[in-house]
Amino acid sequence: MIEVLIDLIRYFLSILKSNQLDIPLIKPIIALIMKIVAQIPIPYLSNLVDLILAVILWRPLFAVVVMPGLTVLMIYLLYIVWFERKLTARIQWRVGPLEVYRPLRGAIQALADGIRYLFQEAIVHKDAHRPYFVQLPILAFIPVLLPIAFIPAGNVVGIKSPYAVQLTIAFISLIPITVIAIGWASNSRFAFIGSVREALMYVAYEIPFIVAAISMIFLYKSGDPYIIVENQWIPGAILNPLAFLVFLIAMLMATSRLPFEIPEADQEIAFGPFVEYSGILFGLVMVLAYEKLYVMALLFTILFLGGWNGIYISLLGDLNAPIWLTIKTIVVISIIAMVRSMYARYRIDQAIRIGFSWLLAFSMVALAIGVVIGYEGGI
Amino acid sequence: MKVEFKARRLDLLRMHLDVIREAFKQAVAPDRVTVEYPRERKKYPANFRGIIVFDKDKCISCFRCAHICPANAIQMTFYEKAWPGIDYTKCIFCHFCVDSCPTGALRSTKIHDIAFATMGEMKLNAVQMLKAPELTREDSFTVEYVVDPQGWRLEKKAEIDELALEQFIIPEKRRVSVCVDPESCLGCRLCVELCPNDAISVDRKANKLNILPEKCTGCGICVRNCPMKVLELKEVK
Repeated sequence: MIEVLIDLIRYFLSILKSNQLDIPLIKPIIALIMKIVAQIPIPYLSNLVDLILAVILWRPLFAVVVMPGLTVLMIYLLYIVWFERKLTARIQWRVGPLEVYRPLRGAIQALADGIRYLFQEAIVHKDAHRPYFVQLPILAFIPVLLPIAFIPAGNVVGIKSPYAVQLTIAFISLIPITVIAIGWASNSRFAFIGSVREALMYVAYEIPFIVAAISMIFLYKSGDPYIIVENQWIPGAILNPLAFLVFLIAMLMATSRLPFEIPEADQEIAFGPFVEYSGILFGLVMVLAYEKLYVMALLFTILFLGGWNGIYISLLGDLNAPIWLTIKTIVVISIIAMVRSMYARYRIDQAIRIGFSWLLAFSMVALAIGVVIGYEGGI
Repeated sequence: MKVEFKARRLDLLRMHLDVIREAFKQAVAPDRVTVEYPRERKKYPANFRGIIVFDKDKCISCFRCAHICPANAIQMTFYEKAWPGIDYTKCIFCHFCVDSCPTGALRSTKIHDIAFATMGEMKLNAVQMLKAPELTREDSFTVEYVVDPQGWRLEKKAEIDELALEQFIIPEKRRVSVCVDPESCLGCRLCVELCPNDAISVDRKANKLNILPEKCTGCGICVRNCPMKVLELKEVK
């Protein structure tokens, strides 16, 4: 019986070993670990450690779970919440989060908040549609996190698809539906107003956003991130600056950043669709917009900023691409975070007018540029 | 019309660029003027009104501090003489008492940040006011607001501001009470009863007030209370 099991494990190991990350930097460390483990007199221990290392360094799993997947996403969430508050405070002449571990200038504030959410009671009020109210924050993660499986970083990719860009856009377009459903399940007047505003913003940004992305697909003649990144010896932002601008503004609208923070308007409708949530459920819905921003920024980096192109460090091997992609994405998000402290909120009619007038017009012009450059075959 | 519209659009664009430039500037080097209080202490001007201390040897029990106090925060209590006690729940730190004190018995300190545990503790008597309250210093920086044509700045120095009391020597003018118009005196003897030092007596045979200059401290209680206003404080050389 055990031999069959071991054979099965060996078979899995052979599959895992055939697609391992090649990182010269950690090879001596792995050899050292294996050497130490071999001396411990426990049967099958060395095989087990080998299996664990093989699982971690298996390319698809590494892409989804470590980088640019969930681990980086968690670290990014802890970073961006603090960074956004701190940056806004600096620009507005305040100090920002500071007293939670002062030597790091309050850097673990988000972690402390997260722990507090975890231990707080999650209240489900009487009028809420209980099953939807509790399940939707978790269901909302499906369209947010699935694109990560399709977005590649060099050799490190979860599911290789020639339609990765289109798939990512399709999943991003699904997110507002869960937000609207959250607002409906909350069954409160503020949540209702918030979900209606979310729907309004959705129709305002969605068309220019998709048209801008399609213009880039026309420009590179493919929706395959590998071809897109390969073709970008000139960044897409320079090739098609209008699409760059439209995508950037649509990104601000889609993640309800401040000039378009209409669905969550704190001062008017107290966090909109999420007003009834508390405890860890609030923690989950609060990071929804930040995760959406992360996915959109990944797409933005691949389409406009040359994806994982960067200085190749041979010591890091396969890790180069994910690191460059992550760095570019985080830099993009950090710059976008600054917009929050600069602008006041638009009215609903102003935001929709922007979406349907010049944002749409710019996206159409960008589409024309994309078609022309793609047709000429200039790149 | 068309030109105007164009100009407005250009202006808007310029304003957007201005906003972005200013935001980047502030993000790199913010002009904020926040004082991180317990770790930094703001430097105040030399005579900035602070907690008041009391010198019992100089006090002549003239009650002027209690009379002038607009918030009615000073209560005179009798120890060896009548001494003032300040109720900091009422005190508005106008320092009229310090200004009005003829002998300089009330003085300001450089301590402006004192916390009390209870409301009861805020009512200080004269004995508690004899020395400045003790401070636990947590600050290691001194900051100072600098206002120049460019705007406000916060200047930070890695030194501790000295909070020691500065002794102000007030030029003391010795004055005594003198009856300037003895003919108008009613003989009510209010001044005799009010004098805290028993310096005034009535000579019944000569029908006049007898003010002993060596006993008179010049507190002026008799002057203030005389119904006919015949008493006056006169300087002694």
